Amino acid sequence: MDAILRTENLRVEFRARERGGAPKLALKNLNLSVRAGEIFGFLGPNGAGKTTTMNVLLGFVTPRSGNAFLFGVNVREPIARQRIGYLPELTYYYKFLTAEELLRFYARVFGIPPAETERRIDRLLKLVELDPARKQLIKTYSKGMQQRAGLAQALINNPDLLILDEPTSGLDPLGRMKVREIIQRLKDDGKTVFFSSHELGEVETVCDRVGIINQGELIAEGRVADLTREHHANLEQVFLKLIGYQPQAVA
Amino acid sequence: MTHRAASLSLALLLGAAFGLSTWLQPRALDWRGQRAQAGSLLEVLLGDGRRMFANHFFTKADVYLHSGYYPSLFDQAKMNCEGQRAGTAHDAESGAAHTTPAHDEDAHDFLGKPTDWLDAFGRKFRITEHTHLETNGAEREILPWLKLSAELDPQQVETYTVAAYWLRAKLGKVPEAEEFLREGLRANPDSPEILFELGCLLDENRKDATRARNVWQRALRKWQKTEAAKAEPDKFLLDRILTSLARLEEREGNVAKAIEYSIQLKTVSPHPEVIEKQIEELRGSPRQAATNAPAPPR
Amino acid sequence: MNTSFALARVVIQELYRRKDFYVLFVLTAVITVVLGSANVFNDDKIVRYLKEICLLLIWVSSLVIAITTTARQIPAERESRTIFPLLAKPVTRGHVIAGKALGCWLATGLALVVFYVFFALVTCLREGQWPIAQYFQALWLQWMMLAVVVGMATLGSVVFSATSSNATICFVVVVGILLVGGHLNTVAMQQPEPASSLLYTLYFAIPHLEFYDVRDLVIHNQKLIGGLDCLLATLYAAVYTAFFLVAAWLVFRRKPLSA
Repeated sequence: MDAILRTENLRVEFRARERGGAPKLALKNLNLSVRAGEIFGFLGPNGAGKTTTMNVLLGFVTPRSGNAFLFGVNVREPIARQRIGYLPELTYYYKFLTAEELLRFYARVFGIPPAETERRIDRLLKLVELDPARKQLIKTYSKGMQQRAGLAQALINNPDLLILDEPTSGLDPLGRMKVREIIQRLKDDGKTVFFSSHELGEVETVCDRVGIINQGELIAEGRVADLTREHHANLEQVFLKLIGYQPQAVA
Repeated sequence: MTHRAASLSLALLLGAAFGLSTWLQPRALDWRGQRAQAGSLLEVLLGDGRRMFANHFFTKADVYLHSGYYPSLFDQAKMNCEGQRAGTAHDAESGAAHTTPAHDEDAHDFLGKPTDWLDAFGRKFRITEHTHLETNGAEREILPWLKLSAELDPQQVETYTVAAYWLRAKLGKVPEAEEFLREGLRANPDSPEILFELGCLLDENRKDATRARNVWQRALRKWQKTEAAKAEPDKFLLDRILTSLARLEEREGNVAKAIEYSIQLKTVSPHPEVIEKQIEELRGSPRQAATNAPAPPR
Repeated sequence: MNTSFALARVVIQELYRRKDFYVLFVLTAVITVVLGSANVFNDDKIVRYLKEICLLLIWVSSLVIAITTTARQIPAERESRTIFPLLAKPVTRGHVIAGKALGCWLATGLALVVFYVFFALVTCLREGQWPIAQYFQALWLQWMMLAVVVGMATLGSVVFSATSSNATICFVVVVGILLVGGHLNTVAMQQPEPASSLLYTLYFAIPHLEFYDVRDLVIHNQKLIGGLDCLLATLYAAVYTAFFLVAAWLVFRRKPLSA
């Protein structure tokens, strides 16, 4: 099966904050692939390079070397993003718009015809349970409501690939469950989901495959079942072992 | 420095500042004279800067009179430079070409030829024709600026006289002109200019020769009080006052008085020979002959 | 093109949901009405001073709206992180620059229409004449000038990190050009070298925004500007606007963004 998300020897450097300092290597020759129809969990400790990888895939950051492809198209081309949906970790949207107006705006960006736009807006707002609040300004929304509005905008173009950065961050247990249900439904519809998360229990439940990144390098990639079997431990323990965590001795 | 020492120093400084301002305040009023008695809110808010605004608005009235065709500061500077160069050139040549009609026209055409294509293009968006407001009472448009100028600087007497002239002579608003002049007089009680203009209004518009005479005589007295002692007194104003008085007396048949004023006028007029001729005419007039003739026997 | 228009629409929605425009309009209207009711020697036909003050307020307000609206667009998108879901769509940075600039320009155009309708009502009712063609021409030229200002502020918004710096610099530059730009050649002629050459270079390089200030023509009831001259002025503004927007795109496309 062809990979719809692929990176080849991706290398990203950032300038040092202090003058004369060495550049920081954020990604070191990252080779990653995600196949169509799977749910892929992208794991790593803070500062490992997960968000940087997503930034490259979305075209926010230009790599020093290497390439990244979405649906076989280099991510430098805007058309590569035609069939994806993106939910950032920190969800901020135009506060002076309502959820309905926000979705209508993004639908226009995709060139979706008006009649189809209205149908999708109705469906999505019902899906994310924002229908009663559709005419309220986003600035009046709670964090959970903003997250759900974000999910709706990520789905407005009926994407084949969803890129989610910590989709359950800041949500209560009910909210997290709803997000998991939506992800599962998307998979049932044949969509591909690529997401990062710190909730390893959630990842273990939902994901087909995972990749673990640490200090800019992909240190493990494979099916969840295969990894847990190989290391005779649950995903959290595998994760901690692979990133080299040493438990502190209690005095 | 300790906290106590700092507080004491601050208190000392504040006390000194307060004492100094209290000592200076009555002296400052004396320095500024009459203009120190600030009245309206605008005067208080703008302070001495109001005179700058007053001058600006007075000029604005002139701009409006010329329908917007007016040299900017840069145009005036350019004209001055060119005038100096032309003056140098004229001095070098021994002829005079100062009073040709072409030269007079040039003075109005401050724009001159465009210096480059941008300048030429820019002129299509500017007023480039010299016109005056002079139809259907259009002169009224200058009035708000004159009124504002007077509000900001009541001591600028020219504002009152100019406004009054346009109100009475061109717009037919005689009561308004008189009221404005009287307002100017309240702010400038010793102003011979305002008194003179008021006399013109009484004479030309109210046709009240007696009051006009009284006002002009008062103007003459004020001139003598305020201008006579100056190194360069305003002789032009004196000329106008005396001319008006002489004409009024002549019209009223008081030839002797007319001659008296004409004799005074001769001393300040730039054309004394013309005044002398007028005096001779007055002396030879039938009215004067009647005055000089002996009374018939009873 | 759809994308740029969609972005422009959002900018317009933002403008009329913020208070700035309404505050400026009410201020202009109140000042004009108060001045219009002033008694000037019992003459209620005087109108030119009212035109001058109202037009001055319109110019100041439109510059404030244009510069402050434009200066905050891209920095606000970055600070509020709304740029990330936007660029995650098939939207290029060029689309963002074009869409934001177009939106700001259209928004100021709408504001100008409202201001000029008010101006026309107040002055025409007083004057008894309706020089609509002249007012429309003044509006059009002012709108073209604002396109250049919007372009300038857009470039500033990707160069300067602080919105306030950008707005201040734009105001200073625009007001400087309006007051002095047309006279730089006169000043240059009076200077020694090399100042003269520098000033002349500056004179030819800057966008001459003062061309579009036809308030005097409106106030003093002068005749309309020729159609060809208007068209040339429009093209002149379009060239400078395009220059600023292309420069903004060249700067913006290299800026790293981190979600």
